[in-house]
Amino acid sequence: MIPVVVEPEIGGPPTAPTSGAPLGVGRPRSRFGRLVPNVVLVVSAVFFAMPLLALARFALQNVPTVLLGWDTLFDKWSLKGVTGVFKEEQFWASLRLSLKLAFGTVLITLFLLLPTAVWVHLRVPKARSFVEFVTVLPYMIPAIALVAGIVVIKPQARWFLNSDLSLIPFYVVLALPFTYRSFDAGLKALDLRTLVDASRSLGAGWGTTVMKVLVPNLRTSIIYASFLTAAVVMGEYTLADTLLIESLPPFQQKFVGREPQAGYGVNLLALVSTTLLFAMVALLTRKRDPKRKTFARAAANAALTSDKAQNNT
Amino acid sequence: MTDINLAVGGRTGNGAAPKARRSWAWLGLVPFFAFLFLFLIVPAISVFSNAVRTEDGLSLSAMGEAFSGQNRSAFWFSIRFSAIAAATGVVLGTLLAYAAATATRPRWLRNVVTSFSGVAANMGGLPLAFAFLTLLGRQGVLTKMLDEGLGIDLYGGDFDLGSVRGLVIVYSYFNIPLMVLITLPAIDGLKQSWREACANLGGTSFTFWRRVGLPVLAPSLMGGFLLLFANSFSAYATAAVLTDNSKIVSRRIGFFLGGDVSIGEDAVGYALAAWMIIITAVAMLFYWLARKRAERWQS
Repeated sequence: MIPVVVEPEIGGPPTAPTSGAPLGVGRPRSRFGRLVPNVVLVVSAVFFAMPLLALARFALQNVPTVLLGWDTLFDKWSLKGVTGVFKEEQFWASLRLSLKLAFGTVLITLFLLLPTAVWVHLRVPKARSFVEFVTVLPYMIPAIALVAGIVVIKPQARWFLNSDLSLIPFYVVLALPFTYRSFDAGLKALDLRTLVDASRSLGAGWGTTVMKVLVPNLRTSIIYASFLTAAVVMGEYTLADTLLIESLPPFQQKFVGREPQAGYGVNLLALVSTTLLFAMVALLTRKRDPKRKTFARAAANAALTSDKAQNNT
Repeated sequence: MTDINLAVGGRTGNGAAPKARRSWAWLGLVPFFAFLFLFLIVPAISVFSNAVRTEDGLSLSAMGEAFSGQNRSAFWFSIRFSAIAAATGVVLGTLLAYAAATATRPRWLRNVVTSFSGVAANMGGLPLAFAFLTLLGRQGVLTKMLDEGLGIDLYGGDFDLGSVRGLVIVYSYFNIPLMVLITLPAIDGLKQSWREACANLGGTSFTFWRRVGLPVLAPSLMGGFLLLFANSFSAYATAAVLTDNSKIVSRRIGFFLGGDVSIGEDAVGYALAAWMIIITAVAMLFYWLARKRAERWQS
C-alpha cells in the first residue's frame, strides 16, 4: 500500500485555475454528454459501497452465512456478534500495542521529521530537492522487502529488535514519503524566513519561535501527517505478521479464523474507525477562512464564480 | 544571530548566510540521514548482500534461481495482474475523475469524491480483503444474490478471488481512488479556453482530445500507471487473505521468511526480495520523472 496525501488540503491556496475556468464549467452539453458522468458516478458509488455492506451483513446479521441471500436481507440485525470481541483478552492486548506503536511513530515523526523539514527550508534550501527525493525512497522498497532486510540484521541487533516497539522506527520510515510531503507543502506556503526573523528580532528564543510561530502556522500539516500516520500504523500487517508481533492486524486475521462473525465484526470496526479518523482530519483541517464560514456562503460563492465564468465565455 | 543582523542591515539581498555558516548548516540534517540509513538503507543493502552471498564467496546463482521454476511463474503472475490492475485503475480512475470534475449539479459532489478517494486510496490491507471475501467469496453475499436472483453462478467458471480477475477487482478498490487523486488536478489543469481556441481553429471535440487534452494528460496517466503498478505489485496484506502461499512474489517472500524452507534455498528468498526492490524502484523512478513533467501544466 502506498499512502497518499490529498494535495489541495494542505497549505497554500486551493487549486484554483490561474487563467480561465476549468474544462466543463458552463459548457452546453449534449444529453449523452450529461448522461455518461452520471452513470459513472452511480456505478462507482455502488461498487465502493457493496463490499462494506456485505461485510456488515456477515458481521451484524444473526443468520447462518449460507442463508445470506435476498430473503434474509432484513432479518435479525444486531450488534451481538460484534460485542463478543470485547471479552477477548488478546483483542485488548493487541489494541494497546497498536496504539503504543501509533503514538510512538507520530511522536518520532514530529520530533525528527518536522525539525528536519524546517531546517531544510530555512538553512539548506539548496538540498531541498535532494531531501525530497530521499524521502520517497521508502516507496521504492516494498514493505515485504524491508522486512526481509530486518530479518537479516535481527541476529546482530537482538537487544533492540526483540522488543515489539522496535517496529516504531521502521513505521516512521514507511510513513516518511507522505509525512515529509505534508510538512514540505505546509512550509512552502509560508514565508518562513520572514516569520522566523520577525519572531527572533522581537526577542523570542528558538523554543518560543517554534511553539508560538511555526506550530500554529503548520497546524494543518501536522494534524494531517499525524492522523494519516496513525491510521497507517494501526492497519500495518506485513511487518508485524512476518516478525510475529501481535499487533491489531495479525489479531484481526487470526480472530476471523477462530470466530468468523466476531472476526468480521472487528474488521468492520477497523474500516469504520479509519473512515471516522479521516473524516475528523477533514473537519480539523478545514480552512478557517471567515468568508467561507457557512456552507450556504460557500455555495453562493461557487455560484457567483461559475456565473462569472459563464459571462466570460 | 548573524542572519538577523544581515536581514536588518540588508547587506545581502535575500538573507543568504555567510559561507562559514553554510557549511555547518548541513550538520542539521545528520540525524535525519543517520535515521534513514539505519532503518531503511541498511536493511535494503542486507537484502542484496544476502541474495548474492554463498558459503564460498559471491555468486549470482540465487538471483538467477529467483527467475526459474515456481519463482518464475510467481513473477509472471505478479507482473501480469499488477499491470492489468494498474491499467484498469488508470482507465476507471480517470473516468471517475472526469465525471467528478465536470459534474456541476450537486456542488458538494466533487468534495465528496475527493475526500472519499483520500480515504479509500489508503484503505488496503486486511479489512478490505475480508470485505471482498464476504461479497464475492464462495459464500459471499453477492455470489448468492446473483445465483438466487439472476441464476448466474459466479463460480461456475474459473473465477476465484485469488485469480487475476479477482485480484484486479479487489485492488481496484484502492487503485481507482488513488488514480482520481492523481488525475483530478491534471484534469483541472485543462482550461476551457484551450477548448475554445481549438474550436475557433475549426477543431472538433475529437481534435481537442487528440491534439491537446490527451497530450497534456499523458504524463499524469503514465505516472499514474506506474504508481498503481508499484502499488499492486508490492501489496502484501490484501493478497495474504486472498491467495495461497506461493502464487505471487510478495507472498512467496513471506513464505521464505517464515522459515519452512530448507537452508540451501535461503538465498533465493532474498533474491526474490532484491528483484522486487529493483522492479518497484524502476517503476517509481519513472513515476517521479512523469510527475515532475505533469506539474508543468498545474500552476
